[in-house]
Amino acid sequence: MADVQLKKVGKTYESASATTIDGLDLHIRSGEFVVLVGPSGCGKSTTLRMIAGLEEVSSGEIWIGERRVDELDPRERDIAMVFQNYALYPHMTVAQNMSFGLRLAKVDKAEIRRKVEEAAKLLEISTLLNRRPKQLSGGQRQRVAMGRAMVRDPAVFLFDEPLSNLDAKLRGQMRTEIRRLHKRLKATTVYVTHDQVEAMTLADRVVVLNNGKIEQQGTPQELYERPATRFVAGFIGSPSMNFLPAQVALDGGTLVLRLNNATLPSPADRRDALLPYVGKTVEVGLRPEHFLAGDGEPDLSVPVEMAELLGPTTLVHFTLAGVPCAAMLAPQHAHPEGSQQPLRIAHDRMSLFDPDTGGAI
Amino acid sequence: MRTTRIRRTALTLLIILLIIACFLAPYAWVVASSLKNQFTVFGDVTPLSWRAFVPVGATIENYVSLFERTNILRALLNTAIVATGQVVFTLLLCSMAAYALTRIKFPGANVVFMLILLTFLLPIEAMMVPLYQVVSGLGLSNTLVGIMIPWIASPFGLFLLKQAFEELPAELEDAARIDGAGHVRIFFSIVLPNVKVPMVTLGLITFLFCWNSFLWPLVIVQDPARQIIQVAIAQQGSPTQLPNWGETFAGATVATVPLILLFLILQKYFTQGMATSGIKG
Ligand SMILES: Nc1ncnc2c1ncn2[C@@H]1O[C@H](COP(=O)(O)OP(=O)(O)O)[C@@H](O)[C@H]1O
Ligand SMILES: [Mg+2]
Repeated sequence: MADVQLKKVGKTYESASATTIDGLDLHIRSGEFVVLVGPSGCGKSTTLRMIAGLEEVSSGEIWIGERRVDELDPRERDIAMVFQNYALYPHMTVAQNMSFGLRLAKVDKAEIRRKVEEAAKLLEISTLLNRRPKQLSGGQRQRVAMGRAMVRDPAVFLFDEPLSNLDAKLRGQMRTEIRRLHKRLKATTVYVTHDQVEAMTLADRVVVLNNGKIEQQGTPQELYERPATRFVAGFIGSPSMNFLPAQVALDGGTLVLRLNNATLPSPADRRDALLPYVGKTVEVGLRPEHFLAGDGEPDLSVPVEMAELLGPTTLVHFTLAGVPCAAMLAPQHAHPEGSQQPLRIAHDRMSLFDPDTGGAI
Repeated sequence: MRTTRIRRTALTLLIILLIIACFLAPYAWVVASSLKNQFTVFGDVTPLSWRAFVPVGATIENYVSLFERTNILRALLNTAIVATGQVVFTLLLCSMAAYALTRIKFPGANVVFMLILLTFLLPIEAMMVPLYQVVSGLGLSNTLVGIMIPWIASPFGLFLLKQAFEELPAELEDAARIDGAGHVRIFFSIVLPNVKVPMVTLGLITFLFCWNSFLWPLVIVQDPARQIIQVAIAQQGSPTQLPNWGETFAGATVATVPLILLFLILQKYFTQGMATSGIKG
């Protein structure tokens, strides 16, 4: 186990005109499970591959534990990696796939056997050891790929979208499995995904990347409740956050937000920050569960365009101030399609963004 | 309904049989003629009759004299040596060059590849004289090495294997690098085992090319003891005699046997390779 540090790491591909990664600073603590998440093409794989040593850094330093590794070969970095397409060697059996690295390192035969069997048992693939990759299902291949990483006892585990080739159900299972393995092995892990659900459910800490820069990092809860930018707010959470324009105004000495024809008190904790915006428009971010129905005086009433029953909740779709919105309501409070839905807004929990910079207020 | 279907099947069968007959007829003629004496060989084709393909009153006299009078065994051995060497070196050289051109990014890689492919367009006949000068300049005329050396850097082989390497997922090599393998190890332990089918294909084509080559060995080798099979068959008669056609046909038949055996052996391997080489991306 070791911590991983990226110090002002930059990457510009020779064939590309623009910088892919721009001065990335990141400290991953020993034993931590960090998820790099962001839209496709934002540089997640590039970052991971630079940590692995499959891609050279253009600038900056990478440290694993007490060693600077950015000039070292992958094999000298004490890392293991699981790939999106599993990358199992097609001509080798499962056992040979798992032991290839150990055999190259000239580890004692009995020791190799012991490690392979131990990992296979943990991953419940003991009966598959003599099969070839093509005789395995997607989920089984994924386990073998993880087994191949595990037998090497690396200081750091790297995962590049390991679940994106699996169907939804299996993905859920494997997610639980990976989490369970991490609890047990407590190895430092860097996990890349474009799927924010995966990020939220797996991570100790989520790092949101956008255009090769860190947009925000924090625990899943911090990111969900206090997004630092409009980008993070929109990226994290499903169904995603609703963004509505609102006027900041002083109404008899109190700071209020005028949203469509509703007037809302401003969130108490951001009153000072909002003062400079008086007379201007800001962007209000409301998660679907920030709309409330039931008891209490409604703030506004909207025509229901569609009501989706999800089981424990109902997703009510409507248009507000020209923006399509969704509210997540208890089924007994949701009104049917075509009728008016009275709504309250949990104004203390809303996010506020500067419309020019996209930064949180 | 049923009769039309039967009729259609019969027609298809007939067409297939006709095609097979077209392919087999020349071989049947060669084999049949090798079992005839000098006079009946031509008597049976002018005018053409079924006798051309059936040796009536067969004799193995041609084979006996072929093995007694000429050094065909020596020629067969020479051919086997040259063909095997050419296969081994072609596979080694082409696979390494193709791998370098596919996986190692360097400026001008495409230009290099295009230039190599361009040489593919030159007919062998056009290269005979300069090739002769170079090879004999190297002191390799009249040697077995001289027969194979111009052909082992095969642009066709490079092209074939480059396609195969491009289809191999690059992540396999990434995984191997992380597992601690260097370039050489990755090439031999990971890459080559996964391109068996194109390698066997190239090996077979190279073997055939060498086994049937005529013009170049004729040019570069003068010593009959160093000659390979196709030239040896053509040169078996002394220059003053009329060619003994029966013996020539016997030689051609003997020369074909190893090729047929090779195909039969590799065919089994081939179908197996086809069935098991599916790499899922
Ligand atoms: N080998 C490469 N050469 C040139 N550009 C590349 C290469 N690999 C990735 N890129 C570019 O770098 C950017 C980030 O890619 P990547 O790290 O794969 O994104 P992600 O994994 O987040 O989807 C993309 O714009 C991609 O086109
Ligand atoms: Mg990626």
